[in-house]
Amino acid sequence: MVPSHNAGPRGTPHPERDTSLRHALQVGVGRAMAHHGELLQGVFEGDDGRLHRGLITLPLPALQATATFWPGRARRSIRTRPAGRTKAQRAVALTLKYLGYAGTGGDLTIESAIPLGHGYGSSTADVIAAIRAVAAAAGVTLRRATVCRVAVAAEAAADAVAYGDQVVLFAHREGSIIEHLAGEYPPFLVVGLRSRSGSPVNTLLLPRARYDSSEIGLFRALRGLARHAVQRQNPRLLGRVATVSAHVSQRYLSKPHFGRAVQLAEDHGACGVQVSHSGTVIGVLVDAQASRPLATAAAIARLALDVGFADVSTFALNADNVPLP
Amino acid sequence: MTGEGHGGFPTLYEAPRIVRLSPNLYAACFALMKLMPARFMLEQAEADGRLRPGGHVVESTSGTLGLALAMLAAVRGYRLTLVSTSSLVDASFRCRLELLGATFIVTEDREGSGDQRGRLARLRTILDEDPQAYWPCQYDNPDNLLAYARLAEHVATTIGRVNCLIGCVGSGGSLCGTARFLRDLFPDLAVIAVDTHHSVLFGHPPARRLLRGLGNTILPGNLHHEMIDDVHWVGALPAFAAARSLNRRHAFYMGPTSGAATLVARWHARRNPDAVTVVILPDEGHRYRDTVYNDDWLATLEGWPPPPRDDPVRLTRIEPAGEGEWTTLHWARRSLRSLRATGFDPTP
Repeated sequence: MVPSHNAGPRGTPHPERDTSLRHALQVGVGRAMAHHGELLQGVFEGDDGRLHRGLITLPLPALQATATFWPGRARRSIRTRPAGRTKAQRAVALTLKYLGYAGTGGDLTIESAIPLGHGYGSSTADVIAAIRAVAAAAGVTLRRATVCRVAVAAEAAADAVAYGDQVVLFAHREGSIIEHLAGEYPPFLVVGLRSRSGSPVNTLLLPRARYDSSEIGLFRALRGLARHAVQRQNPRLLGRVATVSAHVSQRYLSKPHFGRAVQLAEDHGACGVQVSHSGTVIGVLVDAQASRPLATAAAIARLALDVGFADVSTFALNADNVPLP
Repeated sequence: MTGEGHGGFPTLYEAPRIVRLSPNLYAACFALMKLMPARFMLEQAEADGRLRPGGHVVESTSGTLGLALAMLAAVRGYRLTLVSTSSLVDASFRCRLELLGATFIVTEDREGSGDQRGRLARLRTILDEDPQAYWPCQYDNPDNLLAYARLAEHVATTIGRVNCLIGCVGSGGSLCGTARFLRDLFPDLAVIAVDTHHSVLFGHPPARRLLRGLGNTILPGNLHHEMIDDVHWVGALPAFAAARSLNRRHAFYMGPTSGAATLVARWHARRNPDAVTVVILPDEGHRYRDTVYNDDWLATLEGWPPPPRDDPVRLTRIEPAGEGEWTTLHWARRSLRSLRATGFDPTP
């Protein structure tokens, strides 16, 4: 079956899906990856000339959530395991409805390696894996734009992890793309840091940042540099984007030891520092194509423990030359 | 980056072309740079209620900001009154703006100094008579600076890392606004201001200036001296010659301020081959068809043609020179006041 082609990618209302050729539901499995916060977050002008809250996600492919959907024969309710994953439950119902199976019930099992509440996008990953599991159950591959729109409908805000390694400027509260940045992420090693005192954050309870007009201007300039960095596959300039964006974020959700992370990055010639704008994680970005990137990442990780960080771990993004997940 | 702004005004009008002049020198060439701050100032004013849709806009200008405001007023339905002075506004320019629907009020300027004071007094009267009118006040309006985030975005998108930004100063908006956002991206960015002799912006005593479109007789709030690393004062003659050279070498038909900026930019780029330099070229040459692009008119100027010159005269103190001269001073991000306090400044 062909996925719907009439789903508007920019958040426009879309016509009802043609469900005249629907299959009987099978068991379906869907996966989604975590993310490690953002490379850029702020407000950005859309094609409509208005400002939209948006972000560029830093995907974390090493951590995944897997959802399995068993359609229920008799039951019309949707049960989740673990119990109480209400956003994923809502995502299942919305996806079933979208695919023409409104009123169908079933069981959703979520197995996730993603820690909760630190800005790794555990909740979005659950939701997206659930949507994909239901789609697989119906024998359908949904396009990314549809996945995102359903995800936002299920949980009020979503990250752009449905886009995988494609870089997009994503309106996370609307579930639509502000801009495709025309490329994949340049190769990075990311040294992820969390401070010992960092406690989990409930994203939806965070007050929305009220950016001033000079910050909005700065986001324009950062968007331009991000475009250039992705187009030219320049990790240093993308790292610079992340560092400046992280400094803005510090004014709204301050992370302990942020200055120490910036210093570590500078001391080791790293590309920059990124943060989770709604969590506790900080990442030092190392150019995976520089000389001896693993040694650099290891040195940063070692010193990070000395200056007060805990839970230090390194992962690769689009770096096929280093033996890391 | 979008094609259509709201209100039906094509925002591509205001986008510069980024052109490489030499391996390490890029020019941001505008057809009409002032569209960028004009649109931004009007949109911000509408957003917070200072300007109503279809409202009255009043500004004191004889330059390209007036043209930009007139274009926007025509498209978006504002009423526009421009206060200018007899020495600075020529018939064909005035005609072009009036065809767009602008109303001109022209003060008498017997001294030929630009009559800033007389114009501002007149503008005040209009504002008193129509309290609903909106005065963009480009010299002091912070939105003028903020508008240039769009230029910083264009530069970053097209060029990426930039080491040096060079531009003319009149209101300070384009150079200080662009530099501010680019310096957020690249803290080591060098910022070089291009002014002309007898402009008060960097401490010269005011007097008649032949080169228009940069410099000022009053100090605008949007000029932040503490951002400036070096200042160049380019006289009218080398500026005109540089505009003609830009046309001859690159087929760019730009105004004389673009000539002055290019003169400085070429010199800086030659001396710093490893630095990426960007120069802002604010407008095209159409308004100067009968002057800078007319050999007969140029021949009437004392000192024309100026001798070819590779380097500026380096100053150790602020001092004006003649229209044939090109001078520079290492400003070192100081305030005008601090330079005056060190005895740099010969003016009272």
